[in-house]
Amino acid sequence: MSQLKKAKAAFDLINWNRFRFWFQMSCFVLLVYGGYLGLDLGKHLPTFSCIYNTEARGGACYLSILQHQMAWPWQKLFSVAALTILTGFLTFAAWFIAINKLWCGLICPLGTVQDWMTALRRRLGVRYGRYTLGQFRVLAQIKYILLALMFLIPLGIGAGWFHKDWGLPFCMICPARMIIPAFDLNFTNWVVDFSTTPKMILSSLGIVVVGLFFVGIFIKKRFFCFFCPMSAFLYLISKPALLTLKKDGDKCTRCGDCYTVCDMDIREIADEVKNPRIMMDDCTLCLKCVAACPEPGALKANYAGITFFEATEAGFIKRSQKGIGLEQPKR
Amino acid sequence: MNSPNAKTVALPYNRSRQAREAETMLDHLTDDFDDNPAAMAYFYDLFRRAYCKGESLEREGVRVGTTCIHAPEELIYAMGATPVRLCNGSYHYDQVGADFMPAKSCSLVKATLGMLSSENVIPKVGKLDLIVNPTTCDQKKKASAMMAGMGHQVYDLELPPAKESEQARVYWQRSVREFAQQLRSLTGKKLTRKNLMAAMARTGRAQAAFRTLHNFRRKSPSVVLGKDVFLITNAYFFDDIERWTEAVEKLNAELVQRDKDGFCAAQKKAPRILFTGSPPIFPNLKLPLLVEQSGGVVVADETCSANRMLYDMTAVDEWLVNDMVDSLADKYLKPCTCPIFTNNDDRIRRLLELAKSFAVDGVVYQAFAGCQVYEMEQRSVAEALNKEGIAMLYIETDYSPDDMGQLTTRIEAFLESLKSRKRKRA
Ligand code: SF4
Ligand code: SF4
Ligand code: SF4
Ligand code: SF4
Ligand code: SF4
Repeated sequence: MSQLKKAKAAFDLINWNRFRFWFQMSCFVLLVYGGYLGLDLGKHLPTFSCIYNTEARGGACYLSILQHQMAWPWQKLFSVAALTILTGFLTFAAWFIAINKLWCGLICPLGTVQDWMTALRRRLGVRYGRYTLGQFRVLAQIKYILLALMFLIPLGIGAGWFHKDWGLPFCMICPARMIIPAFDLNFTNWVVDFSTTPKMILSSLGIVVVGLFFVGIFIKKRFFCFFCPMSAFLYLISKPALLTLKKDGDKCTRCGDCYTVCDMDIREIADEVKNPRIMMDDCTLCLKCVAACPEPGALKANYAGITFFEATEAGFIKRSQKGIGLEQPKR
Repeated sequence: MNSPNAKTVALPYNRSRQAREAETMLDHLTDDFDDNPAAMAYFYDLFRRAYCKGESLEREGVRVGTTCIHAPEELIYAMGATPVRLCNGSYHYDQVGADFMPAKSCSLVKATLGMLSSENVIPKVGKLDLIVNPTTCDQKKKASAMMAGMGHQVYDLELPPAKESEQARVYWQRSVREFAQQLRSLTGKKLTRKNLMAAMARTGRAQAAFRTLHNFRRKSPSVVLGKDVFLITNAYFFDDIERWTEAVEKLNAELVQRDKDGFCAAQKKAPRILFTGSPPIFPNLKLPLLVEQSGGVVVADETCSANRMLYDMTAVDEWLVNDMVDSLADKYLKPCTCPIFTNNDDRIRRLLELAKSFAVDGVVYQAFAGCQVYEMEQRSVAEALNKEGIAMLYIETDYSPDDMGQLTTRIEAFLESLKSRKRKRA
């Protein structure tokens, strides 16, 4: 037990951002190139390990299969065949419940690509933008709309209201569809599909989104995650998740340090002092806030009720007070 | 009223009434207690030189006076200037300053004005090139024009009246950026990533040293007394930051040893006091001194001359000038528990947390007569503390030594009641 405590105390002092960088890098390699290593985690992952990255991927994003199944003709959808959907969903949920949105903060390849772009911007000395609170409140709704459409359009296809060429509507505009396969030098999706009108519309939209993605990420940290329907979906089923972000409001000075470093502009992380369950819908569980909080125990990451990473004064001073006699930071 | 200045002009400073005031306090702080930490000698000596002998502490280069903790010192240091906190605790200056303010006003503001209007400024920090006056309480706000009237160059740093809203945050960030501009035109230096990072590291190191000291005060029995800690944080007002930090680090090292040796700085059963309200500033350490002379020990505080000034540290996400300046702005606004803000929830939560984590027996709340904001918050604070079963003694006072006798009686009675409460509980 004391061994475990010691290990945790050491982990609390960790340079979280560096740890996270290498962790993300490893996951990226596994998910984007894992196929070549024989890795196959199935097709129900709660993260944007894109299915269009055909040969190289080490496991695939669930949204593709889901949209595909939702577009089944209604007789099939409402028959025993739906059990396949259910087991699929349960697999997806199991993956998710195990580590909650850590999928977003530490694993998602598209999230990692965004963080790399952010690092590039930082190196160029360009500062990031923030939304005003008003903009934020409005934009935060978009992901729910996308999520709803992602269900409704395929259901409409199954009912025969829409042409099947409207299939996989979200995948068609998802930036990962073009970006992730590109890492395997696969650029087949970087074209407008002129075969039918719906396909032309969707694939052009997809190109526009990718354009916006690259512009946006240069201005706003985790630009796409604000709009990501996976994020909305995961949040909706996050109640039973084993990994949780907890806040002890009594210990919080509301210094705002956590808010300052939060890529998702989540105000509540600093301001909320009554509710101990502090994971907001946009939160990616990157845990940067825990690393940036100077008040011991004010923020904690728990696994099944056991704290494995928490805010400490010593950890804070070590991490964020650059040059107090320790090394000078590199950009 | 005879002007207190009239006589002192003739006498050499070290024999003036002003120097005697400081000397008396310092003698009490050192001689009334056994076993002062050896590392405290640096601070006792510093105050003796600055306040009793009137020695010069003049700094090279541009000097920027600040009238409140909200002026970001990192920016001042980064541009090669030196900040000096002007909030003053001298009764002598309080009387001089009475000419400027209405009868019932805050001693601190009067003393600061009194000091700034004097020929012979103590501590002798040299001619100020700029005074930054954050727009906090009404008295400080109105003091701005008076300081300007005395011939000082004053910059009003605009602080929002509330701190919760995003609006306030953005407004304040803009104020701070403008302040940086002002400093730039004053010093002719540009704010760069490098010089700001160096300045932040220096302040960060000082804060880390303070936090270590602060944490030692959790120990029971106590290893260090509150009167010494107030003196140390008061020295931060005008001392060289690096020397100050080294002296505190030295003291911390001594406290490690004391802790190992099982040393007790106060009686084992001494009631543990949390100090809040108007800030004790040397030589007016009257109240903390009385508490500790009467057998209590001040283990923590929530005042702008100590904890509130040094505790909260800055976190930066991206080490680029813009982000650093905004992060600094956040640090100076968001965690501040000053009563001038509309809402005082944070102050109450902070007090409750300090009371809990420092195993406090009672709270002493000082309000300078005429300080409306502290007077007005008294009730809500008392209620919140009482709800948690923590007794609070509310004391309205000023810089005059006249009420010492009466205060001693009240404090002794309060400490006695805390002791008997403790006994009953045990
Ligand atoms: S295109 Fe996007 S939603 Fe579709 S499978 Fe790929 S990552 Fe998932
Ligand atoms: S929210 Fe971001 S990190 Fe999470 S799945 Fe979507 S793109 Fe990936
Ligand atoms: S960093 Fe910690 S103490 Fe500061 S506001 Fe966030 S949770 Fe509270
Ligand atoms: S709240 Fe914390 S864990 Fe969530 S996104 Fe913000 S910094 Fe990351
Ligand atoms: S003690 Fe009160 S009146 Fe005096 S400066 Fe502070 S807030 Fe203002």
